[in-house]
Amino acid sequence: MSGSKPDILWSPHHADRYVICDSELGLYRIGPVGSGETKAGALPLSVETAATLLAINSDTPYMKCVAWYPKHEPECLLAVGQANGRVVLTSLGQSHNSKCKELMGKEFVPKHARQCNTLAWNPVDSNWLAAGLDKHRADFSVLIWDISSKFSPEASVAAEKIRLSSGDTDSGLVVTKPLYELGQNDACLSLCWLPRDQKLLLAGMHRNLAIFDLRNTSQKTFVNTKAIQGVTVDPHFPDRVASFFEGQVAIWDLRKFEKPVLTLTEQPKPLTKVAWCPTRMGLLATLTRDSNIIRLYDMQHTPTPIGDETEPTIIERSVQPSNSLIGSFAWHPTSQNRMVVVSAANRAMTDFTVFERISLAWSSTTSLMWACGRHLYECAEEAGVGGEGTVEKDIATKMRQRAQSRYGHDMVQVWKNHLLAGGDDPQLKSLWYTLFFMKQYTEDMEQKQQGSKQALVYSGIKNIVKSSSGTTENRRCWSGSDRQTDVPRFHSEERSLALRLCGWINRGPDINVEPFLRSLEGEGEWERAAAVALFNLDIRRAIQILNKGASAERGDLNLNVVAMALSGYTDEKSSLWREMCSSLRLQLKNPYLCVMFAFLTSELGTYDGVLYESSVAVTDRVAFACMFLNDAQLPRYMEKLTSEMKEVGNLEGILLTGLTKDGVDLMESYVDRTGDVQTASFCMLKGSPGEVVKDPRVQCWIENYRNLLDAWRFWHKRAEFDIHRSKLDPSSKPLAQVFVSCNFCGKSISYSCSAMPHQGRGFSQYGVSGSPTKSKVTSCPGCRKPLPRCALCLMNMGTPVSNCPGTGHGTGKSGEKVDLTRENKLAQFNNWFTWCHNCRHGGHAGHILSWFRDHTECPVSACTCKCMQLDTTGNLVPSDSH
Amino acid sequence: MELHILEHSLKVASIAKEGIQICTHGLIKLAFLPSKTRCKFFSLTETPEDYTLIVDEEGFKELPESEHLSVAEATWLALNVVSGGGSTTNSQPIGVTKIAKSVIAPLADHNISVFMLSTYQTDFILVRERDLPMVMHTLSSEFTLMRVVNGETVAANSLGVTNGFVKPKLVPRPIIHPLSSPSNMFCVTSLDPDTLPSVATLLMDVMFYSGGIKEPGASSEDTGHIRFFSFSLIEGYISLVMDEQTTQRFPNNVLFTSASGELWKMVRIGGQPLGFDECGIVAQISEPLATADIPAYYISTFKFDHALVPEENIQSVIGALRTNESAGQ
Repeated sequence: MSGSKPDILWSPHHADRYVICDSELGLYRIGPVGSGETKAGALPLSVETAATLLAINSDTPYMKCVAWYPKHEPECLLAVGQANGRVVLTSLGQSHNSKCKELMGKEFVPKHARQCNTLAWNPVDSNWLAAGLDKHRADFSVLIWDISSKFSPEASVAAEKIRLSSGDTDSGLVVTKPLYELGQNDACLSLCWLPRDQKLLLAGMHRNLAIFDLRNTSQKTFVNTKAIQGVTVDPHFPDRVASFFEGQVAIWDLRKFEKPVLTLTEQPKPLTKVAWCPTRMGLLATLTRDSNIIRLYDMQHTPTPIGDETEPTIIERSVQPSNSLIGSFAWHPTSQNRMVVVSAANRAMTDFTVFERISLAWSSTTSLMWACGRHLYECAEEAGVGGEGTVEKDIATKMRQRAQSRYGHDMVQVWKNHLLAGGDDPQLKSLWYTLFFMKQYTEDMEQKQQGSKQALVYSGIKNIVKSSSGTTENRRCWSGSDRQTDVPRFHSEERSLALRLCGWINRGPDINVEPFLRSLEGEGEWERAAAVALFNLDIRRAIQILNKGASAERGDLNLNVVAMALSGYTDEKSSLWREMCSSLRLQLKNPYLCVMFAFLTSELGTYDGVLYESSVAVTDRVAFACMFLNDAQLPRYMEKLTSEMKEVGNLEGILLTGLTKDGVDLMESYVDRTGDVQTASFCMLKGSPGEVVKDPRVQCWIENYRNLLDAWRFWHKRAEFDIHRSKLDPSSKPLAQVFVSCNFCGKSISYSCSAMPHQGRGFSQYGVSGSPTKSKVTSCPGCRKPLPRCALCLMNMGTPVSNCPGTGHGTGKSGEKVDLTRENKLAQFNNWFTWCHNCRHGGHAGHILSWFRDHTECPVSACTCKCMQLDTTGNLVPSDSH
Repeated sequence: MELHILEHSLKVASIAKEGIQICTHGLIKLAFLPSKTRCKFFSLTETPEDYTLIVDEEGFKELPESEHLSVAEATWLALNVVSGGGSTTNSQPIGVTKIAKSVIAPLADHNISVFMLSTYQTDFILVRERDLPMVMHTLSSEFTLMRVVNGETVAANSLGVTNGFVKPKLVPRPIIHPLSSPSNMFCVTSLDPDTLPSVATLLMDVMFYSGGIKEPGASSEDTGHIRFFSFSLIEGYISLVMDEQTTQRFPNNVLFTSASGELWKMVRIGGQPLGFDECGIVAQISEPLATADIPAYYISTFKFDHALVPEENIQSVIGALRTNESAGQ
């Protein structure tokens, strides 16, 4: 303080009053702006609050420190420590309390004058006031005064030659004999009473922190440190104390007082105030000199400091209550996170509430939680119950559902995977059908012992048609009519293969789209079926399909009209039909109907109206191209379409690219667009053998998908995925992780078994296989010394577990028919050899499991290892277990 | 009890009266502008003969090289006795007497020369840095030895040197230097560092000008008065020693006065400059005082030593010391 630097004290009992002290004491009341109580002279503190000056006291010059009497009555009694070491009691505002009048002006004078650095009222015995003074060679630095004591001349004169200075005429108010004197020949910089006991006083002395126990003043606990200023006890944690020195704050735990439990990062400028927030646990505010910010340290996550060597995490942040340099601040005693700040220069005050840090946590599913102050908010994805207008579900939700429905795992009827995925995504449908056709073709080839095209089939239609040779061209009649068409159709082995991959034709040499048409009819895709029929130059079949579609349940009657229009087809170049069709077709909403007329009205060899109609499925366009584009046009079209697909990440494009580098590029843009690493992982795993799976991008998708499954605790799903993966990509198989070696010969038990299959027992006979009928395997196959004993049954390992109650039936689903194979597997697992990595005791898995169902400590006598609690992950339950 | 070995490396110097003006810039900076230097230990004592300066190495850089400035060749370390664990009995003899028997006498017995500086706050015992192993060996039985490192006290590791130190014979220590007692009375006091700027000009006047122009050798001792003023600023604490007349010049409430308002008389030791090598001088004076349980301050300067004793005790002090003196002769 000393004239320039102000300080603030909140009233201990009136939440709306505080005192500012610099060269004088000013009592203020804080209230809402513009309320009836606030007078014209109210000083605005914030948008909502203002302060009114109630009283000023300038009776006490040379103030060094001030402390507010902690009890309700007298209400506004202050102790002021002065530069010469005297402590004066004073008050602010009128008080008619007689006790207060009696105490007012009372002075407590040390034997030798020196600065009074700090004052602290005892919170329990409020007559006790501790004063911390500077050093004097022959005097004490901590004096505890009893404010109710009377001046007793006889006693003090006898002890000392008291010569009161001339100012002390009213000697009845001067006390020179303290209740306790502590810290001889030392300096006291800061003081606080400890809540543990009313007679414990913590003092920051010249070079140490000392705890004085007034019950036995000859003893003190102390620790040498520089951090001796501003000792203050955490109001929420009575053993936690903060102190500081220059720019560094030290946090102490009084139960482990030898060294600070932590020190906060050092500030370049010296600190002036450090204060615990009284309304929030573990929040410490610090202020440095010449600064306009208050730094906050959140020790919310501090684990109990006992025995924990790791530094706890602290979250540091700063707040800026106003633009001016801060003189001092004080937390409001009850209002949450609120403080009043006074500026260093002009006593400008600001009422400020520290906004609570928001901590946010994503769950591994799509919900989100955040905490602010004393509130906790949860934000979950709306459960979209079908229907129009609901927002599409997040990809993570979709992947989670798909994982649960075993999406990607159907390796035989590969196309069914799109149904497992929900069956509502055309791209996925196309993808899985493509993969299915590729697989089917490969299998056919294998049966025919023709390896040549096998590798090619997974490389996509683009590559297949590139190698096309021996293309024949024919002009066919419209089926069902004699008219010769001008439309050339192209044939080659590769082109038929492409048509197969598109799903238009089945295996076999002849091109027969009839089964495909029927399946389309079955699915009610009338327009598409009609278009496919038309492209196969069967105009009659097309009309028939349209008629069927119009008459079907919920059919579109307009299809009849289209059929009518179709039947009028003429190949005459300048006919009215042609003219009308080519202009009006654009008004047809259905893309297939549209392309049918585009095909019919197109000039020879140019089918852009069909090929670039993007709403037509890629398979159909590709199949169309394979039939009607010549060897020069076809690769160009394929190239163009492929790059288009790659650009937008359309999975239908996999048909063209196959599972090649191009395919990975395409998948990359698909994943970039959707985040669907699940589909990417499953799809690319099919691309074995080879290059594709080793692509770092593919590995990245696979790892991310596995991490996702782990995050959802879908450990079983992840394990299934790993199994699935290792089938398709043998290089991903993990190495053996653990070997059990014999205590005596040091050889791996299983190794020696498998290495010497002819010396007696085979590996399968070793205990872990657990078949009770096999010969005894309770010794090391290498050196024949016995294996360790199970800590519970005390039998040598290798002995099968006898049927013990409580373990056999797992979770005890009584009433259900016992699944025999499962039971059998469980029994085998019970024989497994398990042990604790910490205490190295172990035994049969079944025994150990049942032991730890009711115990926390190791079953071995005198071993206090809490084996089961060591691995916290082990107690988690996978969320996909059944 | 703990003995703290402070981290300051100190120089002891003398500034001749006629050369003081060339040093005033540095001295004023050291005394009144502590934030402008890194000096942590500064003491300036004016005697009729010269100014004695005790300053750490950082502070020493502020002073010019000059023929008027003579520096004692050694580097000194300050020792400080701290009550350490537990506050002991209430009525302890004040000052040097407290440590006379435990520190000063054993050091004298081991022929270690000491340089004393008493302040308002505490007593500093300065020893030569090269004597430190011997000092630690001598005092380790009596004290917990602590070293101050970067402001933090740590246990001083005993150097483990025990060989070659001969247990000295304890001999009676007669007073061998002439004593004198000036007539003026002194005040040992301090002030709030925050109020230092308000009295800075006054202090400068007292320090550098109030003596007027004096011819060397001629002292005011003729009238029985002695010119003696000491100012120290050590680790932020100010200590002042001045005679009663000088205190009158300060405004009220600036100087710290003790409740008992005690005044002190001086005993000046030495007829001719004492030098730095002779040991046992402090012990000669402090032991009889300790025996008589008389509190005292002791301030060594470049040439002479000064003890301050309570005014009412001066006669008994003189008496006691004279007895010792005659015993020596």
